Amino acid sequence: MSQQAAVQAGEATLIIRGVSKTYRVDDRPLSVLRNIALDIEPGEFVSVVGASGCGKSTLLRLIIGLDTDYDGDILLDGRRIEGPGPERGIVFQEPRLFPWLTVEDNVALGLDASGTAPRQRERSVAENIALVGLTGFEKAYPHQLSGGMAQRAAIARALVNRPEIQLLDEPLGALDSLTRAYLQKELLRIWQQERVTVIMVTHDVEEAVFLSDKVVVMEPRPGRIGAVIPIELAHPRDRAAPDFIARKERILRELQH
Amino acid sequence: MNVRSLVARDVKAAAPFGRLAAGLRAFRPADLLLPLALPAAVLLAWQVTAVNGWLPVQILPPPAMVLSTLHDLIRDGDIAANLKISLWRISLGFALGAGSGLVLGTLLGVSKTLDDYLGPVFKALAQIPSLGWVPVLILIFGLAEALKIVIIAKACLVPTVLATAQGIRNIPRHYLEVARVLRLSGRTRLFKLLIPATLPTVFSGLRLALSHAWIALIVVEMLAAQEGVGYMMVWGRTLFQIDIVIAGMLVIGVIGLAMDTGLARIARRLRGWAPDHG
Repeated sequence: MSQQAAVQAGEATLIIRGVSKTYRVDDRPLSVLRNIALDIEPGEFVSVVGASGCGKSTLLRLIIGLDTDYDGDILLDGRRIEGPGPERGIVFQEPRLFPWLTVEDNVALGLDASGTAPRQRERSVAENIALVGLTGFEKAYPHQLSGGMAQRAAIARALVNRPEIQLLDEPLGALDSLTRAYLQKELLRIWQQERVTVIMVTHDVEEAVFLSDKVVVMEPRPGRIGAVIPIELAHPRDRAAPDFIARKERILRELQH
Repeated sequence: MNVRSLVARDVKAAAPFGRLAAGLRAFRPADLLLPLALPAAVLLAWQVTAVNGWLPVQILPPPAMVLSTLHDLIRDGDIAANLKISLWRISLGFALGAGSGLVLGTLLGVSKTLDDYLGPVFKALAQIPSLGWVPVLILIFGLAEALKIVIIAKACLVPTVLATAQGIRNIPRHYLEVARVLRLSGRTRLFKLLIPATLPTVFSGLRLALSHAWIALIVVEMLAAQEGVGYMMVWGRTLFQIDIVIAGMLVIGVIGLAMDTGLARIARRLRGWAPDHG
């Protein structure tokens, strides 16, 4: 199963070329993204950091296909993105679980469009609930879960369809620091196990350095890429190591431009 | 790494205790007595008024007389016969009005264009009380059974449409985005998003519709009918037998409360997932 997933995951290359996005606010154009260019290799873990309002989340909305009104090209294996697709999944900042469905029914929504046979569907749902460490909570309703557990259920819902590209929009932003540190390790484990491509928007520079192959620093008004910093440290990374701290400092310097 | 203990740490330990506490609170005897306090006070005032003869018996018969009239009406089958025809009218009118209201409300809620075209007209029509339609509808339907059904259906239609359309428009955008991103099928969208998300609003609309239906039923039976609970009350008033009128009011109150409670129960059962359930 995971071997098969690894083969699939090895294919998707995302190319972002000259992407600009303008909103109209009070009948005046407001440029939120200008001339974004970025190549993302299959299996890469890329973080996007930047101040509020630099268009990080907008960029994810364009990649997932919730907003197709933009200039430039976002190409997935050479095809322009025209809407949501099975090869891309997203975890929002809020879990966004349907409160009237149990954890397993919520996760199963991720397979709704795939036409998976019921038996296989059951197995995949159980596997992915186990993957995020929620075994035993299949029948729980979202209001019975803590914020961290709900977010893990949301991760399982996004992963169950084995997308080649997993988008994470500040997925741990609303959690306490203990749960956050734990889920960072979990994310790393899942990424290493499943070899999906991950693009994560985050406010937390340390989180970006801890997890990513490269960190994209964005600058605000209009949102544009300031620097792309590779992090070529081996996993698991030691947050107290001089190399780690040096990368962190460099990104923080870039952010202060 | 002890995953299990971390998971356990995440569980909201308060949940089961909260439920238990809520259950215990629900069984306080005061909760059962409180709703009866006001009727008891009214009954007392009524009895005092009747005993002292402050109002003539023709205007305010004593409670005991109303009770014995109610007993007679039940024994002689008057209540059953009239209630049967009234309940039939209400059921048919409610089914037609609420049924078409659900469809129309869904269309208005889903389609912005349709709402732009029909919304304002519908809201204007909704402002006209159901009874304002009676003169016009008598011209069309005469005094036949259809008149009563149409007026009850119309009374149910308005609150159902408004609640359904509002329920659909109020589905959180966050959930709709999830549905788009996961490319949920139409069937899944309907049964796992649209219906559960709109259920509470729709049910409060249906409960409102039912109470409007009762108002329309009684008034239309008072205006244009030869049978039914409303007719029975008019008949009692014509005979200056206010005890019959009050007996009719009691019957309507009890049946109406039972129906409303029934709808509320169904709604609660369908919302079994909700945190306040129990």
